[in-house]
Amino acid sequence: MNGLQTNNAPDSSVVIPHFVFGAINFFVLAIMIILANTNLFEAYFNNKLIAITHMAVLGWATMIVFGSLYQLIPVVFETSLYSEKLAKFTFWISAISVLFLTYSFWVGAFSTLLVYAALLMFFSLLLFVINVVLSYKKSELKNTSSKFIIVAILWLATTELVGTIIALNFKFNFLTVIHLHYLKIHATLGLIGWFLMLIIGVGSTLLPMFLISHNLKYKKLDYSFYMINAGLLGLVINWLFFKNSLFTIVFWTIIVAGILFFVSFIYESYKKRIRKKLDIGMQYSMLAILNILLPILISLVLLIGFNFKFELLSRVVILYGFSIVFGFITTLILGQTYKTLPFIIWLKKYKSLVGKVKTPLPRELYSKQIATIQFYLYLLFLVVVPIGFLLKNNSIIKVGSFSLLAVSILYNINVLKIIFHKVKNIENG
Amino acid sequence: MDKQEIAQFEINALELLKNVMDPEIEINVVDLGLIYELYYDGDKKINIVMTFSTPSCPLGETIKTNIKETIKQKYPDFTVTIDVVFHPQWNTSMVSEEGKRILGL
Repeated sequence: MNGLQTNNAPDSSVVIPHFVFGAINFFVLAIMIILANTNLFEAYFNNKLIAITHMAVLGWATMIVFGSLYQLIPVVFETSLYSEKLAKFTFWISAISVLFLTYSFWVGAFSTLLVYAALLMFFSLLLFVINVVLSYKKSELKNTSSKFIIVAILWLATTELVGTIIALNFKFNFLTVIHLHYLKIHATLGLIGWFLMLIIGVGSTLLPMFLISHNLKYKKLDYSFYMINAGLLGLVINWLFFKNSLFTIVFWTIIVAGILFFVSFIYESYKKRIRKKLDIGMQYSMLAILNILLPILISLVLLIGFNFKFELLSRVVILYGFSIVFGFITTLILGQTYKTLPFIIWLKKYKSLVGKVKTPLPRELYSKQIATIQFYLYLLFLVVVPIGFLLKNNSIIKVGSFSLLAVSILYNINVLKIIFHKVKNIENG
Repeated sequence: MDKQEIAQFEINALELLKNVMDPEIEINVVDLGLIYELYYDGDKKINIVMTFSTPSCPLGETIKTNIKETIKQKYPDFTVTIDVVFHPQWNTSMVSEEGKRILGL
């Protein structure tokens, strides 16, 4: 039966380094945002902002996602990971390359370091893709969640391919069209193809499980799967070959409809939930699902155009990215860390002790108080930064940036508290 | 053991299982309604028919281990077998009044 496959779970030495490195990168990300200061108001493709974006999506989000996926693959695919050794090797290569890549962007070494960093990143992501695809091939189960995950992995490879081509172009200058055109494709593939598909795949399993809801209309996920993929494929082909604005609107509408089917699925799960009170992890997660509507609204504004001046347009584009990376992805990761990491560690420490001694509950492995303060500071960050952007007020942005720094510190404290939890004061049960 | 003694033993065993918590929902497996049947054959063999709150429960194996170990702590020379079923599907009507209070139902 699905999910009773904890015997297939990888060794925690495969999973934990991703959480530790991801958490540290979240702290580094907050520092980078503070240091970038007024660069944030410049054009959306300025080197500091691109460095911040890559630290956020690769160093922070993807790193945690990789760790979580290695843990979840046995549950969703009902098979063990193809190779734990390859997963450990991939971690080190991707950790080095994400730092190398971020540094290359930060110092603006576009025609020198960047190409090597991008190639290394491409190599590391390819190793991850190979490991997951081979695990999937071993699996006999092909359910909706595993379909989402495997397609997300393929979109990740495509995203990285386009990113590497852009990086190579900085050195060899072979593209006939301005690189910003490909940057748009690269970002869309990454955010919708990789992150959104993956989150729907994993979220459609985990969120109803944590909410404890049954008898859901799983057909909605099938609609979501086909619509988002078809829309994304159409959008990319249109941008590459036709550049037709009417087609763009049509494919955007198909993607949005697909997203709304997923939102509707989660809403149904929320309404049918048996556990009425949401814990801190699920409060974050539900907020993230609600926040998915923000980039839809902002992209609608961008689609309509409103003849924005370039300077304002640039800020709206940054807000669009912010709403996805922080409003949606980071919010969900912060929440799901509190749902998954305590269980991973709890199982590692107490699996052999259950029934024999009194064990703590998984949620007792972290400080609820710290997690709650972290939640409200993160809300402050989410509200304040967009206001600062729209008003072009650096002081307001700073309040938000320092809130994020505090959030990252509190998050790191709790993550380390969970990971370094010691079995102590055991009484007979 | 006569039938009455067996029935009393089964009640006591169920009471014992109130020490086994579902680590995610934080309610014991009996009040949660996860234990569908508990049979005692009168000769040191216990068979439990149970379910999980969701088929994809990643803690299923741990809960089963916890049940077996809890019984063995009190009855070391007993054999415990557990059958996990998903029909009928677990639902809130199976939760005890105490469980409902904790879940906020």
